[in-house]
Amino acid sequence: MGMPITYTEQELVSALKERDNQAFAFLYDHYAGALYSIIRQIITDNSELAGDVLQEVFINIWRKIESYDQTKGRLFTWMLNIARNASIDTLRSKSYQNAQKNQELPENVYKGASNQTTQQNVDNIGLKKVIEKLKPEHRVLVELAYFKGFTHEEIAEMLTIPLGTVKTRIRNALLQLREYLK
Amino acid sequence: MNLKEYIASGIIESYVMGLASETERAEFEQMCAQHPELVAERRKFEESLETYASEQAVRPPTEVKAKILKAIITMESSTKLRGIGLLRFVAAAAVILFIGMVVLYYQVNQQNKELANTNKELLDKVNADEVTINKIKREVSIPNTTIISMVGTKRAPQSAANVYWDSTNSNVYLMVTNMPQLPSDKQYQLWALIDKTQKSLGVFDATDQNIILKMDSTKKAQAFAITIEKRGGKPHPTLDSLTTMGKIELTQ
Repeated sequence: MGMPITYTEQELVSALKERDNQAFAFLYDHYAGALYSIIRQIITDNSELAGDVLQEVFINIWRKIESYDQTKGRLFTWMLNIARNASIDTLRSKSYQNAQKNQELPENVYKGASNQTTQQNVDNIGLKKVIEKLKPEHRVLVELAYFKGFTHEEIAEMLTIPLGTVKTRIRNALLQLREYLK
Repeated sequence: MNLKEYIASGIIESYVMGLASETERAEFEQMCAQHPELVAERRKFEESLETYASEQAVRPPTEVKAKILKAIITMESSTKLRGIGLLRFVAAAAVILFIGMVVLYYQVNQQNKELANTNKELLDKVNADEVTINKIKREVSIPNTTIISMVGTKRAPQSAANVYWDSTNSNVYLMVTNMPQLPSDKQYQLWALIDKTQKSLGVFDATDQNIILKMDSTKKAQAFAITIEKRGGKPHPTLDSLTTMGKIELTQ
């Protein structure tokens, strides 16, 4: 057995753009857990579906690596956004919505928590755990914008709050979040 | 708004977490290109987000990794094929093949036409010959038909022809079995010898070999002879050029 290979971010990106399978396996081993975590924070009730989304996310990373632009952000940031967008798309898909209806689960987006007791409590992991610390009026907005994927305009309409207020509150909530992450 | 205020506005976090609008994103990217300290602030937030996310990692189902690696290997091989321009190659090959087939089709078609023409010619000839043969058969079957074998004279010892003469209806048929080729201005002429006079029964060519020719009729004849004459024949035979002669065996 050889020494485990480690990459700097620059080396990893170059290797991925050259379609290096070994680099891709490294990428999976190092980031799958973090990306799966964000997927589970969005798709909270179906671990099998979350696994499918993770698969889709990594295949998209492989396919779109050419379009990754390092000047716009770190590789992880890019991947995290792919994972978040894929999860929200799944959440909004017809098949998922229908499955939800059939389960007749009570939905409470304001609280951001369900009364399910799944095998692993995913309601209290990652960023969800951090946003619990936010003021309630901030928490709701982050929940709707970040974990449900609603636009600022949609949220303003849903909660009958002026668009400017939605923007300001979300910005403030994120600044607060940054402090908690430090 | 100065840079400090811009950094403190929450735009960095909004951009990194994917919550900024298109306009905000474009503006932020432009600002980053101009202000390295803004990029440094962005990186700081990205790093803390990544660190936290890694700490909060959830182990994914074990089978997912194998599925992904299998999927990318499949994608990679199809990408490679695209890389060498498989489609272009297939298209070119198809065009060449098509042109080849058109040329081949044309050639085969031409050959077919030629063969069909040759076939028709042969068939026509066979039919014509059959008509004549049937006619001959009818004639020959009549007991009164006399077959006269004509043999070559000293002048043309190889020459041979048969005359079929029906004394009841006077019909005369000639079958050339072997007559030498003549210059194009000459023809063979068949004669009936009647009481020391010669009656012309018509002209023919050496190329009419092995077919049966209907000649002029004659009621009487003691012998038949063939001479070489100028094309079209002559009223009287040139006896110098007598090539073939046959006597009638039967006495009349």
